[in-house]
Amino acid sequence: MLRKDINELLTQTGPGSPMGELFRQYWIPALLAEELPENDCPPVRVKLLSERMVAFRDSEGRYGLIDEFCAHRGASLWFGRNEGSGLRCPYHGWKYDVSGQCVEVPSEADNSSFCQNVQLTSYPLVKIGDLLWTYMGDRATQPPLPEFEWIHVPAEQTYTSKRWQQCNWLQAFEGGIDSSHVTFLHSGGLKTDPLFKGAKGNEYNMNDTKPFFEVADSDGGLFVGARRNAEEGTYYWRITPWVMPAFTMVPPRGDHPVHGHFWVPIDDENCWTYSFDYHPVRALTDTERQAMIDGHGVHSKNIPGTYRPMANMDNDYLIDRAAQKRGETYSGVAGIAMQDASLQESMGPIVDRSKERLVPADSGIIKARQKLRKAAIALRDEGVTPPGVDPEHHRVRSAAVVLPRAESFLDSCRDAVRVTPGVPQSSV
Amino acid sequence: MTTATRQLSESARAASASESRYRIDVPIAPARAARVIALDERAAAVARHLAERPWAHARFFTADRPFGPEGRLRRLAGGGAAGGRPGAGGSEPPSESGAMAPGEMPAAPPGWVAAAPPDTVPDVPLDEALTGSDVVVVLATEDGGRDVAAAIGRFCGRRGITTAGVVLGDGFEADDAVAALRPYARVLLLSADESDAFELLTALRV
Ligand code: FES
Ligand SMILES: [Fe+2]
Repeated sequence: MLRKDINELLTQTGPGSPMGELFRQYWIPALLAEELPENDCPPVRVKLLSERMVAFRDSEGRYGLIDEFCAHRGASLWFGRNEGSGLRCPYHGWKYDVSGQCVEVPSEADNSSFCQNVQLTSYPLVKIGDLLWTYMGDRATQPPLPEFEWIHVPAEQTYTSKRWQQCNWLQAFEGGIDSSHVTFLHSGGLKTDPLFKGAKGNEYNMNDTKPFFEVADSDGGLFVGARRNAEEGTYYWRITPWVMPAFTMVPPRGDHPVHGHFWVPIDDENCWTYSFDYHPVRALTDTERQAMIDGHGVHSKNIPGTYRPMANMDNDYLIDRAAQKRGETYSGVAGIAMQDASLQESMGPIVDRSKERLVPADSGIIKARQKLRKAAIALRDEGVTPPGVDPEHHRVRSAAVVLPRAESFLDSCRDAVRVTPGVPQSSV
Repeated sequence: MTTATRQLSESARAASASESRYRIDVPIAPARAARVIALDERAAAVARHLAERPWAHARFFTADRPFGPEGRLRRLAGGGAAGGRPGAGGSEPPSESGAMAPGEMPAAPPGWVAAAPPDTVPDVPLDEALTGSDVVVVLATEDGGRDVAAAIGRFCGRRGITTAGVVLGDGFEADDAVAALRPYARVLLLSADESDAFELLTALRV
């Protein structure tokens, strides 16, 4: 359980809130690059950390993320005409460049300097990998760009999707470090999902439903090790890294691509779940890529033209009790992503954590909340830069290994949980 | 991104903020009878500090050294009223753990091994100390407590008592204690500090 005031502290990410300021220390995904596919394409509404913006790509290919509303009389620039190196409000023709600078006010005299004094709030928007990243904090403390492996491998080795999740970011994120639900909720997927099945590790997963956990600090966040019995004298370890504030990776299975998530608050009751798959040393096969596009693995099948999953709360997640009875799915909801999302959304927009009954196996979550709270308070009270800002902290991997029982996963996996270019993931 | 006005399914309505009002709201009784056992001097100082909090059902112990075959634990004052000294603890809710100087390890009180500190009550055998408990949290900072850790682990394993290990400090000094606990502890919190132990106990509602 968590006290109400701490729950509020961790779940509120709007401007000025302690967690909101914490998130504003980091580069975070703002949208997928595919959402702005070409120069002068239509602008896109973006809401992040409870701030409404529009993103656009100008005639020169520059990306901009600016206040959604025109400085003149507040029309939405989502209706803007993206043309001639700027976004023009269609109401009275005011025009802005990617930095939010007003460059034209047609009603003023031709040589008027009025527009120079009109500047919309804007944030940097940078393409790295298949995503556009933004930094919404103080420009003076803008950190170097993110260095997560999944966004730096060649394009043919990586795939990212996103989906709208209708709950607070924290309850979505907590699923990412909660290794004990996999054996239940996702048991169907371990057998059938094309991006999961067939790995030796799955057998250990299914044969031992009571994992043991070890939680250890890392420079950028945590490593959560989940241990299950393997062969005589050995344990099967699944190691989940968390890089603050909201990056988690799933331990790999066999030679399948490795997946993970970035959980981004939209407002306090909605978040974006970015889901990725990549392989450190080889191209994704056509079959793998197609499976990801089709919503298998950690991805979701979305309503065409949107990032809303087809199975969503408005259709009861297409729950299929017959498939559940037949043993195809554990909860009746199909797909790993929506199995998680359906339950996380069912808790309500912001779950009341003062009502929880946690158990020792939830220690990863307990520790993560503690780290978030401490970091938010240290930032607020003392200006301390939180873990995970330094790009060096991003160079982590998940791992799945079999170790002799006496060995500590931390000592034995130091290399396995670090990014080494050209070296495959450690996986069973 | 606003909630759809036309809500099509039960799930959508049930997950809305307005429906949260109708959740059954009853007080949650403290769920667990916890025993917190410090394996060494520095861990004992942390346990003593934690014991001052107003827990409902937690009792705090230190493992005596040498542990001996019959394995006795020394009860610390404080802890839960359901077994603690009457009047121990207090009625105010635990304040934010930040107030406990997280990361700081209280210095071991002098003479910890030689004589029972004034705030302890007499020794009890391990099985008596653990009887009736359903979760044991072991605190360790170094390897001195290796044998005790193994004995507690075995005992809890046999009795079906969930065991958690909290390794205070950087953990390097406690490798053996960790190895001894590993087969039994459902969870090991490594490189932890006092506030982690506090948060764990709070989250468990002890
Ligand atoms: S079993 Fe975990 S939420 Fe119900
Ligand atoms: Fe999951």
